[in-house]
Amino acid sequence: MTQSISETSGKMSARLKDTISKFRKLAFSNSLSTFGTVTVIVFGLLAILFYVTNGAIAPYRPNLQNLLDTNAAPSAAHWFGTDFAGRDIFSRVLAALPVDIGIPLFIVLLSALIGIVLGTIAGYIGGFVEEAIMRICDLFLAFPVIIMALVVAATLGPSLLNAALSLTFVWWPPYVRLVRGGVLALKSEDYMAASKAMNSSFFYIMRKGLLPNIIPAVMVYASLDVGTALLSVSSLGFLGVGIPPDMPELGSMVASISNNVYTYPWEALLPAVVVLLIVLGFSLFGDGIREASDVKVRPHMLLKKRMFGAMTPNDNV
Amino acid sequence: MVYLKDFLYFLGRRAIGTVAIMFGVVVIVFLITHVLNPDPAALWAGARARVTTVESIKAQYHLGAPVLTQLYYFIIDTFTGNLGTDPVTGRSISSEILFYAPNTVELVLASLVITVIIGVALGYISGMHFSTKIDSAIRIVYLATWATPYYLGAIAAILIFAVAIPILPSGGMYSQALTPPHTITGLFVIDSLLNLNFPDFISGIRHLILPATVLAILDFGIVTRVTRSSVLDARWSTHVKSAKARGVPDGQANRRHILRNGLIDATTVSAVMFGWMLSGTVIIEEIFGWPGIGSFTYNAILNYDYPALVPIVIFFTLGVVIANFAADVIYSVLDPRITLGDAQTQS
Repeated sequence: MTQSISETSGKMSARLKDTISKFRKLAFSNSLSTFGTVTVIVFGLLAILFYVTNGAIAPYRPNLQNLLDTNAAPSAAHWFGTDFAGRDIFSRVLAALPVDIGIPLFIVLLSALIGIVLGTIAGYIGGFVEEAIMRICDLFLAFPVIIMALVVAATLGPSLLNAALSLTFVWWPPYVRLVRGGVLALKSEDYMAASKAMNSSFFYIMRKGLLPNIIPAVMVYASLDVGTALLSVSSLGFLGVGIPPDMPELGSMVASISNNVYTYPWEALLPAVVVLLIVLGFSLFGDGIREASDVKVRPHMLLKKRMFGAMTPNDNV
Repeated sequence: MVYLKDFLYFLGRRAIGTVAIMFGVVVIVFLITHVLNPDPAALWAGARARVTTVESIKAQYHLGAPVLTQLYYFIIDTFTGNLGTDPVTGRSISSEILFYAPNTVELVLASLVITVIIGVALGYISGMHFSTKIDSAIRIVYLATWATPYYLGAIAAILIFAVAIPILPSGGMYSQALTPPHTITGLFVIDSLLNLNFPDFISGIRHLILPATVLAILDFGIVTRVTRSSVLDARWSTHVKSAKARGVPDGQANRRHILRNGLIDATTVSAVMFGWMLSGTVIIEEIFGWPGIGSFTYNAILNYDYPALVPIVIFFTLGVVIANFAADVIYSVLDPRITLGDAQTQS
């Protein structure tokens, strides 16, 4: 009994090691994606630390006003300066990180989940069901993201969950298309026919035959997508919709300061540059992985090992 | 070549599809604003409205009727342009939209042109120099611009080109000292040119440069990426090899067989870009003080003006749907590989 447990855990750790080494090859495949990976890890750790320590890592409390020290320039005491109410901008940026990384992750993960469920159903069942799901997808793809999210958020009222849901509302269709494309490509494989001939259930085929081949591609697309989602979240914040007004959020910080932008440009520019860095980090991270695993470009990339199955997000563009 | 009959059939099919999508869009917006929302009248009236106001709004927008009746009125009102009155300005919302729309169209068209030029050029260069320093330099540029939030790009552009080096105006659509030209097309720059009103034309162009470029520069990354990948597909393909083997000069082969492929893909992706750009106008127009639908939307949000937001989202979405239709048609004309009549399998 004990032996078998240690055996399986031994196997698991070998598999984990293998995954980690593959991930390292992909994530650090060149200096650009290394930069991306490091940026993502640094900001992710800061966000987690801030959340776990409940703000103890920030030099000041993010909503602490000090009206004697407003609009201060960046200095040793206030790294990013202070805003019109004397709040420390660096602390506010730190406080915004859990929101600005958490919400995009939530949006992307939920969209990926919807995409996997609907996309597998559409691709596997086909016929009328597929037609219906894909036409609804087309419909939702027509909505301009931010404008539609604005209306949904205005309807639901301001809260973090509503902001996330309002963007998810328009965020899921590309995932359905991606997954459905993958399922259609896999459907014609011999092992699928064999599995069906053995009378395997839909869920078994999905678990063993479809998901392991689709999830890597979805993850590549999702890792690229987190940055884009952050752009939209912070745009909603900038427009003052969805995100509660007292919540430190990078986009709404820029907006609250934009009256002073000519006199105290750093107050708007520094939080905005943090958005730029995080989005760039996720883009480089995701793009590095995509490039290293891209089947189309691969033959010319001097024999790097093929990582993923038959499809990449590119196939669907 | 494409047969006219097939083409008309394809056009008709696509047009029917487009109208169906428009209907779907209106129904989804209806579901969000009337069904998802438990008390639409209260939201439409605003947070601190009197009970009588809420009641009058309920009557005006048929909000007390059964859901299907409401849907009927909503569809009829939307397609006849009866969108209600803007509670802030007191004018009808359809006239507000028609007043602001040309300015937004001008901004988006200008930046679409810039996007396609920069995007295709960089994508082509990047693909032809695959895996070299030039390729990765261009990759850094497009990833960095794509990662820039609109507000950062706009504020930085104003700080650099209007404040630090004051060569361009920081906002507005034309100099207030000038009288606007007679309306012909509704687009300020084109109207002033058609009227041969050169001071207006120059002022209009000067005001257009910053917002259009910011909108374009932040979005050209997609076009670059798509062009690059289609250049890479074409570059090692057999038809290019055979053209070169036949003795077609390199430059001509590249232009005819590689660049043209890239252009086709860039056209399709431009329709997607159009939606992103319309979203971007809300922020860009607000920061640059551009009097378009984007600013109108921003003010509607600022004033909790829900009745104005609903037609706006429909208007924007219809813009995207029509752009998609146009892109489909252009694509079918440009790309000889497309078999008309079986366009459904393309998605």
